[in-house]
Amino acid sequence: MTIGGPGAVGPGVNAVSTSLDAPAALSARPGFADVAADHLDAVYRYLVYLTGDRSAAEDLAAETFEKAFRTWRRFDPRRGTPRTWLCRIARTVAIDWFRAESRRKRREETYARELPPTPDEALFGGGLSAPLEQALRELSPAEREVVALRVLLELDGPSAARVLGISQTACSTRLSRALQRLEERIGDVRE
Amino acid sequence: MSASDVIGIERLEALLRGDAPRTDGERARGALLAELRGATLRAPEALCTRVLAAAPARRQVFVRRPSRRLTFVVVPAALALAVAAALIHGLLGSGAAKTVQHGAVDQALSSAARAPKTPVFGVASGSAAAVPATPSLQTQLAPTVGSGTRLQHTEASLQVRVPDVRGLSAATSAATRIATSLGGYAQSVVYRTPAGGGGASYIELRVPAQNVRTALAKLAALGSLVSQQVSVQDLQHDFTVESAQIAQLRRTVAALAKALRNPALPDAQRVLLQIRLAEEKRALSQRLHARTGTVTSGTTARISLVLSTEKSIGPVAHHRGKLGRMIHSAVGFLGLEGTIVLYALIVLSPLAAVAALLWGLARARRRRDEQRLLTA
Repeated sequence: MTIGGPGAVGPGVNAVSTSLDAPAALSARPGFADVAADHLDAVYRYLVYLTGDRSAAEDLAAETFEKAFRTWRRFDPRRGTPRTWLCRIARTVAIDWFRAESRRKRREETYARELPPTPDEALFGGGLSAPLEQALRELSPAEREVVALRVLLELDGPSAARVLGISQTACSTRLSRALQRLEERIGDVRE
Repeated sequence: MSASDVIGIERLEALLRGDAPRTDGERARGALLAELRGATLRAPEALCTRVLAAAPARRQVFVRRPSRRLTFVVVPAALALAVAAALIHGLLGSGAAKTVQHGAVDQALSSAARAPKTPVFGVASGSAAAVPATPSLQTQLAPTVGSGTRLQHTEASLQVRVPDVRGLSAATSAATRIATSLGGYAQSVVYRTPAGGGGASYIELRVPAQNVRTALAKLAALGSLVSQQVSVQDLQHDFTVESAQIAQLRRTVAALAKALRNPALPDAQRVLLQIRLAEEKRALSQRLHARTGTVTSGTTARISLVLSTEKSIGPVAHHRGKLGRMIHSAVGFLGLEGTIVLYALIVLSPLAAVAALLWGLARARRRRDEQRLLTA
């Protein structure tokens, strides 16, 4: 599904987004429904890249927007774009998920598995070549995360660094190394 | 980070901005970026419905985070409150002057004589209005000191202006003679005549209490009286208490001595009684010494005399008006507030430093954990 403007999400959403927009208009910022509609795909893509698990990404995206809605009043547009703000929330939610997964894997070592198998569909989206898909799977979550933020979501350097909680230089370095590694993996797969 | 990395990063940023690739490597990197961006990965229908339908159904929690601009309001408000409190304190604390003016000296002294242990002091001040040394006025200025029937300690300070250095020398000698003639003595004399002219002498006199009034009158007659302060402290109560204690101690010593004379007294108890007797005797000696000091203090008055030439003597500070007292009180209160804040900072700063350190350590640990989780 392609999410466009408010009109694309359905009459129920539009009806409620009007009520949400009322106080938002006073502070000259978009309503939450509009922000959710605009950035849901981006947050979902980011979470897929970060977790390497579509099912988990779906749950985490829902949790992210739930949390974002609860804290929507705290969002200050002067301190960053909605996309950056949502990505920061998504990252916090995802790290909690990683922690839980880590604990779960420690408990159930015999059932531990690497990235969840997705034989029927491309994990990182349609249109990717098989070597690139495979190479992405072999990257660490941290490497995929920076690729998602800078390349897919097209966040600028400072915004991505802010989401990751590192310096801009460190962020650029991490991206450079991730892409270099990706190219190396693709080369290995093709050979 | 190597130099090649730096160049690579710069070019990578350019490629991300959409710049044309220059080398084969950059072309490959550009193609990779294009492929990544070209992938279609969209949120499932179920997720869209779940997010967009569920969010509005919830009530918003109106929690407003304190703005950073609040600091710019809170800090000046706190400062304004502190200043306002100081001003209110100044207004409330700027009542009547605590010093008794010149005309009320006699009354104050007689009140002091009636009320034991209440120090009072009277002031005759004003360099511009220095009192001429006419005998009648000097007698009028010298207060009636003491009640005659009670033991009282008197302290007086006089500031007298003399015309020149020659007069200063003569007045200094006269002051010591006055004290001696009245049965007292000069405890210390400091005589200064700087090269630049003028001069002053600072004389500490001890005079029998019954002759204080005469002494003050005669000393004031040495020149023009600039200021005069007299304070009287009743020592009768101290004397009575000390006498009672001495009597009690004497009785105790006598009883102990009598007990020790008993030959049937066991050795252990004898030793204990001897120790106690020694302690009581030492206490008795201390009390006797203290009472001697009290009597000496009550029978001898102390007079501090400052003789100065017109050139050297400084103007006597005018008494503060109501506004002056208010400002003085407010400034004092502000100082107290500042001291309290400083103490609070001194006490809290180590705790704040420890808290900041713990917070930093926890943050670093959390970062390490996150990094470990995401690089696994």
